[in-house]
Amino acid sequence: MALRKVKTTKQGANAGYRIGIDVGGTFTDLVLVRPDRTIHLDKTATTLKDQSVGVLTGLRRLAKHEGLSLKVLLERTERIVHGTTTADNTMIQMNGAVTGLITSDGHRDEIELRRGFKEDIWDPSAPPPPAIAPRRRRIGVPERLDFEGKVVEKLDEDAVRAAMRRLKLQKIKSLAVVFLFSFINPKHERRVREIAKKELPGVDVSLSCEVMPRAPEFERTSTTLVNAFVGPKIKKYLGKLEASLRKNGYRKDLLLIQSNGGLMTASYVADKAVTVLGSGPAGGVIGACKVAADAKVRDFISVDMGGTSYDVCLVRGGKPEVTSSWNWHHRYLIGLPMVDVQSVGAGGGSIASVVEGALHVGPQSAGAQPGPICYGRGGTQPTVTDANLALGYLDPGYFYGGELELDVDSVTRAIDEQIRRPLGLRTVEEAAHGIFRMVNASMANAIRRVSAQRGVDPRDMPLVAFGGNGAVHAGMQAAELGIGSVIIPKSAPTFSALGLLLTDPTVHETRAYITSADQADLDRISKLYADMERTATRSLKRAGFAPKEIEHTRIAHLCYPGQTFDVPIPVPGRGAFTRRDRDGLIEAFHRTHEELHTYASRDQVPILRAVGLEATAHTAKPEIPRIPASSRPASVARKGRRRAYFDGKWHPTPVYDGELLRARQTVQGPAIIEEPLTTVVIYPGQKARLDTLGNYHLTL
Amino acid sequence: MVKSRRKQARKKARARRDGAITRPASAARRRTPSDDPVTAEIIRGAMETVAFEMATHVSLTATTPILNQSNERNATVLDARGCLAALSVGIPQFMLSSTLPVKFALEFFGEGGLNEGDVLLSNDPYHGGGHLPDYNIYAPVFHDGEMVLIASIQCHHADTGGGAPGGYNVDAPDIWAEGVRFPAIKIFDRGEERKDVTYMLATNNRTPTFLGDLRAQVGAAQLGARRLKEVCERHGNATVRGAVDYMVEYAKRRFRAEVASWPDGVYESDTWVDHDPKGNEDIHVHCKVTIEGPSITVDFTGSDDRPEIEAYSTFGNTRGYVVAQLAAMMPSDIPKNEGFFDSIDLIVPEGCCLNPPEGRSVAAGTHHPGTEVGEAIAKALAQVVPARCCPQVYKMGMPTVIFGTNPRTGKTFIDHSVDTFAAYCGAVQGQDGWGAMNVSFGNLIRATAEINESIFPVRQLWRDYETDSGGAGEFRGGCGSLYRKQMLTPSTVYTYVVGKKYPMPGIAGGDDGASNKLLVRVGGEHVSEVGDLSERVLHEAGECYEYYYGGGGGWGDPLDRPPEKVLDDVLDEYVSIEAARDRYGVVLKGKLENLSLKIDAAATTRLRKNMRSATRAGARKPTTTDAKAS
Repeated sequence: MALRKVKTTKQGANAGYRIGIDVGGTFTDLVLVRPDRTIHLDKTATTLKDQSVGVLTGLRRLAKHEGLSLKVLLERTERIVHGTTTADNTMIQMNGAVTGLITSDGHRDEIELRRGFKEDIWDPSAPPPPAIAPRRRRIGVPERLDFEGKVVEKLDEDAVRAAMRRLKLQKIKSLAVVFLFSFINPKHERRVREIAKKELPGVDVSLSCEVMPRAPEFERTSTTLVNAFVGPKIKKYLGKLEASLRKNGYRKDLLLIQSNGGLMTASYVADKAVTVLGSGPAGGVIGACKVAADAKVRDFISVDMGGTSYDVCLVRGGKPEVTSSWNWHHRYLIGLPMVDVQSVGAGGGSIASVVEGALHVGPQSAGAQPGPICYGRGGTQPTVTDANLALGYLDPGYFYGGELELDVDSVTRAIDEQIRRPLGLRTVEEAAHGIFRMVNASMANAIRRVSAQRGVDPRDMPLVAFGGNGAVHAGMQAAELGIGSVIIPKSAPTFSALGLLLTDPTVHETRAYITSADQADLDRISKLYADMERTATRSLKRAGFAPKEIEHTRIAHLCYPGQTFDVPIPVPGRGAFTRRDRDGLIEAFHRTHEELHTYASRDQVPILRAVGLEATAHTAKPEIPRIPASSRPASVARKGRRRAYFDGKWHPTPVYDGELLRARQTVQGPAIIEEPLTTVVIYPGQKARLDTLGNYHLTL
Repeated sequence: MVKSRRKQARKKARARRDGAITRPASAARRRTPSDDPVTAEIIRGAMETVAFEMATHVSLTATTPILNQSNERNATVLDARGCLAALSVGIPQFMLSSTLPVKFALEFFGEGGLNEGDVLLSNDPYHGGGHLPDYNIYAPVFHDGEMVLIASIQCHHADTGGGAPGGYNVDAPDIWAEGVRFPAIKIFDRGEERKDVTYMLATNNRTPTFLGDLRAQVGAAQLGARRLKEVCERHGNATVRGAVDYMVEYAKRRFRAEVASWPDGVYESDTWVDHDPKGNEDIHVHCKVTIEGPSITVDFTGSDDRPEIEAYSTFGNTRGYVVAQLAAMMPSDIPKNEGFFDSIDLIVPEGCCLNPPEGRSVAAGTHHPGTEVGEAIAKALAQVVPARCCPQVYKMGMPTVIFGTNPRTGKTFIDHSVDTFAAYCGAVQGQDGWGAMNVSFGNLIRATAEINESIFPVRQLWRDYETDSGGAGEFRGGCGSLYRKQMLTPSTVYTYVVGKKYPMPGIAGGDDGASNKLLVRVGGEHVSEVGDLSERVLHEAGECYEYYYGGGGGWGDPLDRPPEKVLDDVLDEYVSIEAARDRYGVVLKGKLENLSLKIDAAATTRLRKNMRSATRAGARKPTTTDAKAS
């Protein structure tokens, strides 16, 4: 299933492969970049119980395709980047480690109080989130620091030991420690870790001053608890995967994509597992940025429609927003910097059903197992993919590169019985089109919500669409939103995996320092930046990246007195932080605040909340191979015609072979372009043009 | 001329209060009906998005914790008649304070009195508002020379002048002592800021951050007006008006279908507030709900009308609580707009504690007897639809307001105690009370120790759940917190405590939640419990107050709770071993200290049997509301 015909291979013994492996809810996507820079895409079913099984299966498929043994392929591989949803699945199934929590006395219920927040203000019967540490495993101990980190009450070490004995009785495997103001003075938390070495041998310890060194305590408690809960599982998973990669000849570090969009080594992630939670959509967004940059587009909406979820990210200025504010995942708050992606439960596997006369599509998904009905793996409820088949958008004989024969009859029967009849519709295609319209509407709403939060109009921004099902739906969604142009990369179905190979190792560091900005101690700030630069460099060096490749971006978090949500402001320069830097920072904050929120209060002195650092190691990235242009009409790539259902009637629709299309050729809709792993649908009135980098540009 | 307009408006307001909520006369104007429900849905989505944006804008930009941390703000979109079309809600109880003040302004300024670029402000309880610190700021939306919509945003401000800092002068003898009243004033006139007016507003406010909050709120209203103008440009004025009618009709249809599914009948209840801030006891709310097919009438005739009482809930406030409670009892996807509110026939006689004669003080009454309105409806309907009844209220009196001089800055500080703690979370069929507050306050994001200790000279020493404070029931009420807060500098704690005699009620046979109790000057030699009057208590540096916040009421008979769940509650220390035995009839053996507790099945069966027959014999532990009612 090569994306394009393989060029003559010229790889020598020293040339390295790069492999991206992204695990999704339904498929594990694979990208292989050969030493000659040609690309090969593949997919294999995700193995939910242990994702490493699917990863190894995928690697074997890649090796086989290259005509190599797995060992030889891995020996010649210089980088493997992995995106895993193990942390997210652990939170979905709530099957992480048995976790205990030690807090400052009088503050053990923070995680239940949630600053008063409840998800639905209209429904009194809505349940609480499942507990990571039920109350019997949360214990307060006497100790207290004030807001400047001064010890008000000494740590009661006997109480700590007693608490640990009680937790041991409950067989905890992981311990979270959260003391008030520990991010200013970590002394008490660190002492608890020392005591735990003796009292709780073999138990993982997550300190809040290391997981999320900043205020406020609810956010820090939640983040630290999640880290403790998913940590042991991630550690075990990565340990096992690294061992089998080594056994099979891989000599380099396994790299993982984090939710901040940067990479880090498996050993770093094992200690800070929460950094990979919610990382699933990051790879795709990075890939979208690259595609958009090539097309000279800086502001766009990236949409990823897979089998289970639909992920939307608004990108401005060519970089995805990385935020660390009110980020809720699996009903817990994660207070770390994350690529700002919002998800809704809509994908190819979304199940359609009629409940009390109303059609529902999603958020339940048939996933990989049993999958849609048409896969013939035991699925019995119609899904979005089934509807797309019934509408003629997909070819029963050429799906998944022809590896999978789709079962049209069962699909027709199921839609007829479960959808058409209860809705009282005339035809099966009407019922299927209803499913198609419903899923498009819920995806369009997701885009509207995201753009509203940023105060932008989606119509002004092109869509970059990918994911296994993105190419089928993108044209219709754009039409619904009034968007004029869509970019669909040929590599859409495994695009997230490609994105993994386009990003750099990145770590974020934060240090709290709360003071009036004009009073901020220059020396203290210089020291904080120096400390963060040292820590980040050490982490990156340990991962094998030389200091000269590392770029540091300094950040300071400011707000006006009394505000909760602060604004990150980039701080130019290196070395000592000077009075001029401080004045410049205050002015930059006023300016940014005015841009974001219409006003600046120049009569007020802002508060400095924290300083931060983004450290990135710049590494060489693969070039995407060019596709030759042709001035001949697109009809040379036509491979047939089938009927497809648009606007309430069947249209005889030409079908094109995507692998035969050349750059600058234009296809007029209605039309269907079949790529090995996906199908691009061009709706009536739309047209698509291929560029030399392998992207389809749809115009409406 | 001005006077006569105001008289007219007041006359209108009185007429509305006396009977059903009716639309103003202008509503009768003919509209183009929307013939395209899909476009109407799209416009509804657009308006809700604009409301969401306005509310988000305030959260991101306000400077006072109550706004930027607590989300105590609502954004609404009204049509040119002041009819509510769409909203983004912070707190359901306050969602209505937008419509009546705007309707007053429309009457007051009259046809052609509002212009593009105007921004107006209202806060007066006797011109449609709730209480004085709730500022409603709104901007008309013009397109093609016509006023089509109004963007409106309500925020609770940290101060509003008057006799006490913090906007809650619960001792005020009348409305004028509570703060400055603004029935409807223009702060922007055709796009120009009226500097004289904003300067006056700032002069009449104690908080230095007031102007920042005002700017955030004005910015939100202007943003809303800009976005709504774009909606009008895209779809045309007639289509937008038609869409508003479509949304209102849809909500009305859904609301009435829901009421129709409830059994017809007349259901009454009585609820009491311990006392008003002056110590007048047992403020009584009587509620009669009549269900007749798809129609519902809520009648508060018979509620307390003693002339000496000090705490009044204004008509707008009373109406807000009625709607919020009914909304919590219906499917959550019914849009909350004029159609929802219009479907309720509300009768509140003028002069009673829920509809005061003009001039009376209302600062305390916003909360009590305000919340008792919701409680009374839940209790009345618990007789027929108990599964849906969970009072969405609180028993706070008022939040403890702490003020003094901040030694770090040398300036006055006011800490409103919008802190995280748990209280009053009732259970409902199928779900124990949980979290910190009832769901309808779920948007009210509270400050934490690390945020507030960095700003105020106080220390939050304790806020964990207090064992046994949740009412027992088949579904258990949520526990309240023991909240201990220390003053680091001499500070005055201003308080008014209710819910001691009348705590959160149990529903369908559940127990009441624990009562409130507030101890002041703890840690010194002058510890005392706050009584029936509002008090200002000076604390020395180092002294604390200890607030035992009451728990939520239970739902259903505690003897029906599975013993395994009771055991879990004991292991988690929500319930004590003693209460497991005495209230749930569950006998446990073993020790809590080493987690070796087990259910003694035989003893439990025996005890439960005895307790059941005792209940049948009429020896059930009486609840506070029973006691009063008998």
